[in-house]
Amino acid sequence: MWQAIQARETGRTPSNSFANRLKSRRISSLQLSNRKDFVSPHRGSVNSLQVDLTEGRYLLSGASDGSAAVFDTQRATDSEASSGLIAKHKCVFSVDKGHEHGHKFAVSSAVWYPIDTGLFVTGSFDHLIKVWDTNTAQAVVDFKMPGKVYRTAMSSLAMSHTLIAAGTEDVQVRLCDIASGAFSHTLSGHRDGVMSVEWSTSSEWVLYTGGCDGAIRFWDIRRAGCFRVLDQLVTQLGVRPPILKHTAVNSKVSAEKSSSGGKNRLKNQHGKHTGSQNMKGSSSTKASVEKSRQKRLHPGMLSTLDRATAHYGVVTGLKATNDGMYLLSAGSDSRIRLWDTQSGCNTLLNFETGRLQTSKAIQLATSDDPALVFVPCMKTVKAFGMWSGRTTLMFRGHYESVNTCCFNSTDQELYTSGADRQILVWSPGGSVEDEMVQNEEVTEDKDNWSD
Amino acid sequence: MKNITNPETSVAAAGGKKRRREEEEEVGGSHAANEDECFSLQDELTFSDTSVALRMMRAQFPRIDQASVPPFILQSQLYSSLNDRTQVDRELERLRRDKVVRVFKLNTGQDDHAIIFLDDYLYQVDRIAKRMEENKQSDTDIFKWFKEHVLDSKLEPSIAHHELCSLLALGGKVKDAHITLLINAGLLTRQLIDPDMYWFAIPSIGKLWKALLQGRKELLSLLKRKRHKEMFLAELEKRRLRYSPLDMRFHIRDLIGSGHLKTFQTTSGLVVRVSND
Repeated sequence: MWQAIQARETGRTPSNSFANRLKSRRISSLQLSNRKDFVSPHRGSVNSLQVDLTEGRYLLSGASDGSAAVFDTQRATDSEASSGLIAKHKCVFSVDKGHEHGHKFAVSSAVWYPIDTGLFVTGSFDHLIKVWDTNTAQAVVDFKMPGKVYRTAMSSLAMSHTLIAAGTEDVQVRLCDIASGAFSHTLSGHRDGVMSVEWSTSSEWVLYTGGCDGAIRFWDIRRAGCFRVLDQLVTQLGVRPPILKHTAVNSKVSAEKSSSGGKNRLKNQHGKHTGSQNMKGSSSTKASVEKSRQKRLHPGMLSTLDRATAHYGVVTGLKATNDGMYLLSAGSDSRIRLWDTQSGCNTLLNFETGRLQTSKAIQLATSDDPALVFVPCMKTVKAFGMWSGRTTLMFRGHYESVNTCCFNSTDQELYTSGADRQILVWSPGGSVEDEMVQNEEVTEDKDNWSD
Repeated sequence: MKNITNPETSVAAAGGKKRRREEEEEVGGSHAANEDECFSLQDELTFSDTSVALRMMRAQFPRIDQASVPPFILQSQLYSSLNDRTQVDRELERLRRDKVVRVFKLNTGQDDHAIIFLDDYLYQVDRIAKRMEENKQSDTDIFKWFKEHVLDSKLEPSIAHHELCSLLALGGKVKDAHITLLINAGLLTRQLIDPDMYWFAIPSIGKLWKALLQGRKELLSLLKRKRHKEMFLAELEKRRLRYSPLDMRFHIRDLIGSGHLKTFQTTSGLVVRVSND
């Protein structure tokens, strides 16, 4: 450790590789924290966690008893002397059913306003989305939805819009504008409720939604209709599809997005039914049936005819990687799939999940440097290597099923919450001087008799 | 290709259970001697390559004479036989695209996929076409069109109605009665997921499908009844399942691959335990 620091001082290792190595060492040794604890005021299962995007300091949680609370993750609320070795973090404030503007039913999703921590947005099963002012703890704007709100999301990249994307039990996804207080977009295409919504991390205009019908759709909010529907049978072998030597004679290619010609041809070669764009310029007999259907529909609505599914069940969670190139989706068929966002293909990575929660939405978390995906699998949280699919870490600590995982990359801490009303902190174990230990051995109990 | 005849069926008719088990152990011993194949699952639980694994498991598929089903391998069995699941998925995809195997989705309610070698499947389709021809004289061209046009171009396990019609139309005029004929023959089926999609199915799979579900349930309950919910693999392998003609090895591989059972090494060999995750 000290040799590494000395190497950095003398310039033998560049400073960012030193920082990355240290971070990945810390992440590999995550375990239940013996230094920090959140005192959760919630009296129902905690459904949503998010650390704020500007400072990485405040944790916002939403629970099934209609309450939302904010915690400070860096400063403990009790002084050191009274609480002993573990720093207790009580909530900075919380808004619950007793509050005059509070939600009446469960809060399913609580997210920070991405620009600063002055506002946060909560969505609840009482069909309302409320925007709160953090300093005064008052609800500023209310949006009434046609059904229970399952998930809300705001784009962290947005420079020109402040839209809240809301997935509800209604088939349409609505975008709410805070500035005007009205709905700006209604996105139709799903055939059942929408359980997960996620903005793209590479473009402020692209939204990914996953529905209860098992479909994942990509929407560009500047255009009508979705531009891609992910199909689990359209696959690519490997992280990037190979560029083919021969090209398929197909006029459908021109209608595709022009990211890379080779990728599109690979996709068209082995899937005759691969998305709505193909229906326009095709010349086979199949298209004559569809052309007659096409005449009756607006081109933006053509995607409703595409019934490709990404999962054989409900899509319960979506997470885009930070580089914007891949999308992870979790489904109630207990599978997690990794999709290439440019080509829309399933990369066929197999994550060894046992069983996943089927009825509730779950929140996945990713970390960049040892590229890991943290997935809540029933009562445990498992960390899978993103490119190998193997289980690297397993976190057992919750008494009931886990709903959300949130990874704080500034401190390398993982926050998880579940139906047991707790918010647990998993922090890098051991003291700073420890050398790197092998991943698998740290968190597992070595005694064979206690399982 | 080795045909593993199942002499247990003839032995089972005679005598009670206890005698049957003893005789079956003797037969097992002679099997190993005759056929140059390791009877013990412990030694050959994992393989090195997907196609090797597929061929070995196809050779080990129990031959049941009443049902004329081609040997199939479940995807969960492949997962338990190889170390890297992502590799399995990708190699399987490669084999599927090269038209060596075909993947079918079974209607068990869980995510089960059966893998069959394309030659076996085509042989089965021909047998059904011949049988249909003997029963009825008309409309047997549909099987030919099905084989030539649909199976050749559509490699996925499911197909939409309009696409099926258009592909069959490449062979000749297609009517709804033709599709009914295909469904009756057991080559196409519908599942609850989507009313508009047909799924390719393995003909006369019904008996084995039921056997699969019942066998799984029986094996899991057998292990759960034990005090520590575990058993040695060598001992487990020798037991017979009452409700399933598929052999124990098949079910063990399937349950390990789908995560219901897990194995670990002890000083006396591999132990199988019900996983509680």
